[in-house]
Amino acid sequence: MSEKRTGVFVCHCGNNIAATVDVKKVAETMAQEGTVAFSKDYVYMCSDPGQSSVIEAIKEHRLDSVVVSCCSPNLHEGTFRENAERAGISGFTCEIANIREQCAWVHKDRTEATEKAIKISRSAIRRVAGNKKLDPIAVPVTRRAMVIGGGIAGIQAALDMANAGLDVVLVEKLATIGGHILQLSETFPTLDCSQCILSPKMVEVSRHPKIKLLTYSEVKEVSGSVGNFEVKILKKPTFVDAETCKLCDDCAQVCPQVVSNEHDLGLTARRAIHIPFAQAIPASYTLDEEACLGLNPIRCGKCKDVCEAGAINYDMRPETITENVGAIVVATGFDLYPQEKILEYGAGNVADVLDGLQFERLCSASGPTQGHVKRPSDRTEPKEVVFIQCVGSRDPAQHCAYCSKICCMYTAKHARLYKHHVPDGKAYVFYIDIRSGGKNYEEFVQRAMEEDETVYLRGRVSKLHRTKDGKVRVMGVDTLTGQNVEIDADMVVLALAMQPSQGTADAARTLKIGRDKDGFLAEAHPKLKPVESVTGGIYLAGCAQGPKDIPETVSQASAAASKVLALLSKPTLSHAPTIATVRNSHCTGCEMCVTACPYDAIHLENGKAVVNEVLCEGCGSCSATCLRAAISVRNTSPMQVHEMIEACLSL
Amino acid sequence: MINVQDIRDTARDLLAKGEVRAVIGWRAGSRGMAAEPCVVTKPEEADSLVWDPTCYHNLALQLVNDRKDLVHSKKTATAPIGIVAKGCDARAIVVLLQEHYFKREDVYIIGVSCENSGVLDERKVKAQVGGFAPSAAAFDGDNFSVKTAKGDKKLAGREVMADRCLECRTPFPKENNTAFGDDKTGREFDAQFAALARFEANDEAARWEFWQRQFDRCIRCFACRSVCPMCFCDECVVDSIEMKIAPETTAEEKANRIRWIERSAVRSENATYHMTRALHLAGRCVDCGECERVCPVNIPLRLLNTKMEREAREAFGFDPGASIGGPSLVASFRDDDPGEFIR
Repeated sequence: MSEKRTGVFVCHCGNNIAATVDVKKVAETMAQEGTVAFSKDYVYMCSDPGQSSVIEAIKEHRLDSVVVSCCSPNLHEGTFRENAERAGISGFTCEIANIREQCAWVHKDRTEATEKAIKISRSAIRRVAGNKKLDPIAVPVTRRAMVIGGGIAGIQAALDMANAGLDVVLVEKLATIGGHILQLSETFPTLDCSQCILSPKMVEVSRHPKIKLLTYSEVKEVSGSVGNFEVKILKKPTFVDAETCKLCDDCAQVCPQVVSNEHDLGLTARRAIHIPFAQAIPASYTLDEEACLGLNPIRCGKCKDVCEAGAINYDMRPETITENVGAIVVATGFDLYPQEKILEYGAGNVADVLDGLQFERLCSASGPTQGHVKRPSDRTEPKEVVFIQCVGSRDPAQHCAYCSKICCMYTAKHARLYKHHVPDGKAYVFYIDIRSGGKNYEEFVQRAMEEDETVYLRGRVSKLHRTKDGKVRVMGVDTLTGQNVEIDADMVVLALAMQPSQGTADAARTLKIGRDKDGFLAEAHPKLKPVESVTGGIYLAGCAQGPKDIPETVSQASAAASKVLALLSKPTLSHAPTIATVRNSHCTGCEMCVTACPYDAIHLENGKAVVNEVLCEGCGSCSATCLRAAISVRNTSPMQVHEMIEACLSL
Repeated sequence: MINVQDIRDTARDLLAKGEVRAVIGWRAGSRGMAAEPCVVTKPEEADSLVWDPTCYHNLALQLVNDRKDLVHSKKTATAPIGIVAKGCDARAIVVLLQEHYFKREDVYIIGVSCENSGVLDERKVKAQVGGFAPSAAAFDGDNFSVKTAKGDKKLAGREVMADRCLECRTPFPKENNTAFGDDKTGREFDAQFAALARFEANDEAARWEFWQRQFDRCIRCFACRSVCPMCFCDECVVDSIEMKIAPETTAEEKANRIRWIERSAVRSENATYHMTRALHLAGRCVDCGECERVCPVNIPLRLLNTKMEREAREAFGFDPGASIGGPSLVASFRDDDPGEFIR
């Protein structure tokens, strides 16, 4: 074997590293390592002159490997590996020693930090000595995309990708696309009708030749990885043929089964056979199997008898559809935090205490009261309405620690809508503070206060209860005057927190993508990769990733679409060759690596583990799990790890 | 109480009908009172099987050896193998099944419940009878009666039972094809992890000093590893040399190849060996206590293994050997894992 010739490049990162670490000393000490042929420090290694100097050094000193002591490999590993390729050596012989995030930024003492930077750099040098020259693996990609969730985020992402020429499969759990936005009456800050702004997009989806729409469908299983996912989807039977259905409503007229209407959040009822709302896409009725008297055997059969078009077919069965796609956008949205958990506000048992979405339905022309605000208990017009903000939000002790972001705005909207419907009514808002960052948002809240004379009270409501005369007594405090406030309201609207939807939790499990502490889908980097999930080829859009309003959701959906378009723009993807390999003699076939692998990349053949090199991401979970050291990741072999540990522990 | 004849009859029947090719069990030993493991292959040998409080051995080890024999001799089994298993043996079998070492249908488990006893601790017995090794032992439900050179002696169960049996919560082999004896799951002699709790009452310095002393004494005979049914690897990682020998490997490289743990029996290497073993047993050790029993220099290895067991139980609610279908401790993934570094 020829002698190793490693070059070490220590970055100052301006003062980020140099203020705490004596970078000159690090470079000088590294020059004394046996395998190091060249060593230098520079103020910004990632700058153009910095990178050029690396290339020059590789050529001049015939370097075969490179260690760059700088920031996290998350940031510049790609840069320096590509740079090494440009100088004519394999990119996989370049390793990063992270002396910024893992050293300079977390220490104060210069001597100690320098010592640690030396050890980190030395361990990278020892590691790189064992690195093999590897060639990237070329993986053919499936140039189709899937969007999970048919709310505004999913619709926008699907349309953007389809308009760019990509085939898109849009999967929606419910019988129609549209999502929560269709439950809204008007939208802030312009008070335009939400149905009017969304329905053109829904129609576009339904007519788009590039979009395959799967409603009443759920993603059950996902295998494969970036570029090549295989998705199994369960399509539930609607028992109505959408093509033949004439939307005459005869079936619903004869259906004897009445259940609560989820689109109106229980404020109205619907039949077992129903259309979610007039603009539903696909435009068809759906027979809710759970609510139906019975299909097997048929107990009633009235809807089929009355259907002149012959659209109803009781023999429809659930269908499993397999779709192959190259990328997935998860847009599974939010649920409201359950009112049952808010014990101080009656846990959902006090009449005329509504959640925000229910109030939207009351204001909506297509809602239960045809757009006249009437309280549910006695259908009278409420003359005093109390709106409570931050219900469940910003309450780490009992509920959600985070701010749900949109409640300040929609509460202002609610107050204004109420005043427009009931000009002689009185609206009170209890708030902690007003967060109205956004174009024209602050002006909107000001108009709620000034033009619409909403009374804003800064403070929390401690409790509320029903009084004998049919009012809801709200007991709170106005912290600005320091006075206790008691209001006998006709109706109370709670601005409940947003939480990740059940579909979001399910998607995280099926797709094996991480969630944050609040259960929202975790982005790969909070600032620089806000629409990427931690798993390659899976992107995030809308409230599944965190609370946001409609403009932000739409922007994120378009951003996710552009990421997918970039990913699928070439016929092949390059896959890192730093993947797991199995040492057959040591493998006992215990299958621990199979369970540990987050990418389903390992299976057993003849009692030995076999790694699928396209699926393997080189995370090393298998290697860490294996009790027999039978599986290891290329360029992170146990031998290299041993060398690294030794370098760190030596004086 | 279990009638030993039931075990013998079952073994004889199974062998006579050809349902199993052999039965692993215990027979009267040649050393003092202790029973010893045996493999019965003929129906007429079934009457040599015994079941008494000296059946210390975890017979799951014999299953591992059986499979190794099959693999090395390139034979395929003609029929399942039978095994007499007490609670801890059965738990060990469950872990082996979890790790796919053999298939459930390859084993016929004749479960025996430890009921209100467990097994004896020979060291405790010897101390009680003045250093004379007894020649036989029996349990009457409350007390052990042992035969010594100086005559018979009754010993209170609690005083001479093995520590692991005092702390045992599952003396009944839940995984079985047939079982004898009453299910006394949940019987309590001593709190679980009692020995560990007593040890942990010491401060850190005292504990470290204690372990230094223990590891100093280790002679690296590897009896603990040899007796452990979970240490079934053909090549143990502590012996492993992390380098593939290729045609181009030079002699110097071969000479300088790295071992995880050096072979000399010095304190640092001994400590590394025992800690590595404890980590490799985390989530797998079923606390059969065999390692501690066979240690010739009396290192209290259960303290290491039960420590790992308790950590896994407290942090993840993990119970090794509880069910075959359950996930393994180190390979299971939860999407709601509270550890933020996971995501």
